[in-house]
Amino acid sequence: MSTLIHLPVFGLVLTLGAYLVAYWLYHRLGRPGVLSPVLVTVAIVATVLELTGLPYAVYLEQVSLLTMLLGPATVALALPLLRNGRALAGSAPAVIAALVAGGVFSIAITVGLLQLFGVGDDVLLAALPRSVTSPVGLSIAEALHASVPLAIVLTMVSGVLGAAFGPALLSLARVRDERARGFAIGLTSHGIGTSRVLAESTVAGGWSSAAMVMNALVMTIVLPIVAALATG
Amino acid sequence: MSRAALLPPVLLGLVVLLLAQMVGLAASALWGIPVPGVVLGILVLVLLGMLRPTRAVVRAAEPAATPLLAHLQLLFVPPCVGIILELQTLAENALPLALAVGGSFLVPLIVSGMVLQALLRRQDRRRGAEAPA
Repeated sequence: MSTLIHLPVFGLVLTLGAYLVAYWLYHRLGRPGVLSPVLVTVAIVATVLELTGLPYAVYLEQVSLLTMLLGPATVALALPLLRNGRALAGSAPAVIAALVAGGVFSIAITVGLLQLFGVGDDVLLAALPRSVTSPVGLSIAEALHASVPLAIVLTMVSGVLGAAFGPALLSLARVRDERARGFAIGLTSHGIGTSRVLAESTVAGGWSSAAMVMNALVMTIVLPIVAALATG
Repeated sequence: MSRAALLPPVLLGLVVLLLAQMVGLAASALWGIPVPGVVLGILVLVLLGMLRPTRAVVRAAEPAATPLLAHLQLLFVPPCVGIILELQTLAENALPLALAVGGSFLVPLIVSGMVLQALLRRQDRRRGAEAPA
């Protein structure tokens, strides 16, 4: 057993295998938002690591191939932004207003609530990049010297919330415009939410991915300043 | 273009993405720009895509970008699994974190959706009024 789990390919086989199972399950059960493939995969991999006693650091080394692909995959986010650039540029004032409104509330509520509870600075810093798409959120968390896993998991939770409840909540608030629905979900729930609204319509999907990328760009500049102010 | 057609499209696309990332990382390191290199890489690619002579470069990236973006989530599994090292922090701060994440998800979702819908409607009406004339 010990030789098996220390084979250099073990981590990769485990991760890809778990992802395929989670992916199949997700599509088989009619894409329920709470069963987002990434969450299920993480749960399976984490359980296997706990059971076999394979240290996280060793696992991370085994899957360095996946970590390496994160860079080019993040850069590829430019494409959805370019694809929807024309429509967004035509409505620039409305888009900027929505982006600012969403960003202000997101930061104010996160900082306000966590400080109200007197949570430590390390947790606050990890919670800040929450609404930013994970590849960029990861870089921001690193720049803030926050716990990267904690930041990524909170980001994932946000994405899953958006995929599971976002469309219904927006309908409750009578937001029916496809563009506004897509944008609001992309802004708060990034990639996971985007893949959910893509099933709704391509227009909503386009606005969602554009909102996700623009939010990431803005937050890269804003969050370090907020972090400096909030942790003093 | 005909020369590029001979190259394997996915590999060519991957090289384009990696080059954009490298330019971004290099710029961030060389000039001490406080923005992560990958974010600068996104900007490099957006810029190339907006300028007519370089638009083909971004098109060449597509065959690699599409599968990478479709399974972007898979790439986050390794950092996410690191949560097993942070379970205690997570448990100690469960309530405030749940409220902060829930609240900072719900309010911006509704606010940005309503703001954008209202503004887009006004814009559409104005354009609709202009168009027939």
